Amino acid sequence: MKFFFLFVLIALAVLILVYLYRVVQGPTIYDRVLGLNGISTKAIILLVLIGTVYERVDMFVDISTGYALLNLVGALAIAKFLEQRGSV
Amino acid sequence: MLKVTMEMLLKTAALFIIWLILSGTSHPFNVGLGLVASFVVAWLNSGHADSPFRLVPALRMLWYLPWLFGRIVQSSLHLTALILHPALPIAPTLIYYRTRLQSQAAIVLLGNSITLTPGTITGEVNEQELVVHALDEESGHDLTTRRLEQKIAHVFQEQTSSE
Amino acid sequence: MSALAIALILAGLFFLVVAAIGMLRLPDVFTRCHALSLTDSLGAFLVLAGLAVYQGFSLNLLKILVVLMLIYLLNPVIAHATIRAALRSGLRPWRRESP
Repeated sequence: MKFFFLFVLIALAVLILVYLYRVVQGPTIYDRVLGLNGISTKAIILLVLIGTVYERVDMFVDISTGYALLNLVGALAIAKFLEQRGSV
Repeated sequence: MLKVTMEMLLKTAALFIIWLILSGTSHPFNVGLGLVASFVVAWLNSGHADSPFRLVPALRMLWYLPWLFGRIVQSSLHLTALILHPALPIAPTLIYYRTRLQSQAAIVLLGNSITLTPGTITGEVNEQELVVHALDEESGHDLTTRRLEQKIAHVFQEQTSSE
Repeated sequence: MSALAIALILAGLFFLVVAAIGMLRLPDVFTRCHALSLTDSLGAFLVLAGLAVYQGFSLNLLKILVVLMLIYLLNPVIAHATIRAALRSGLRPWRRESP
């Protein structure tokens, strides 16, 4: 079972690389924001998976909750800022 | 003067359940602190909304959410087929959608359901007009046939057929 | 029990991979946002549900369900805010050129 979880962890890391390509490459700045959002969703899943591997889910779930909330605040702030600046 | 309403008590109960799940202890001090904190938060967040809290929509919501989840699964499969198709047969459109729902809460739920369903995203909401970006014809089908709107009208006990 | 968990996680991983492919293939911000919402709605749901099944019936299951609920509540807000900012700054959706 542990090997399976490690496999999933590596697969998620590779997916994060794909989103990172979008963050670096993305033609407009909104693509970068979306890429960051995708990375954060993967990171939440990753944290819960790490908790399962180390059998400390109760602690890692709290961390991922905090990560999700911080991500919301950050994404809303960036979106609001870009909206008021008003250029692409 | 502190006036305790039904809305406040229900919100306190919901917050307190989340507190119990996240803290994971049954120590009396911890539980008491959670009770006080969740009541204060519920008190600060009650009675501001334009639409007052009603019990029937909250109960009908429990019936609406599984339906919405079924739609989410269906449109996810549709979207998967679109993305994996070699020719990428997408035809993105902006739908200017005028809703007949009246209350703010119903319009918020409509916009949120649209965004939650893969294939359609709400871009802008002005009073009763929604700007929706749909990936192709079939993704926006629920919207253009007004099926989603009727479900939400049923949840909030509003009329949409007249006019 | 763990066979079901493995099946759920693999199915979720499939949708996550599909969303990543969509992120690379689709032409503009608006369409990519659809791919991202596929991740949130089904990919994350299936993976986290698999982990919850693996935990068995305990407090940890409820905690994972709280994270799942949070994902479902917050991600539409972020998607809507980004798309609204893109629309208001004058970005127009991509269209296939008519031949």
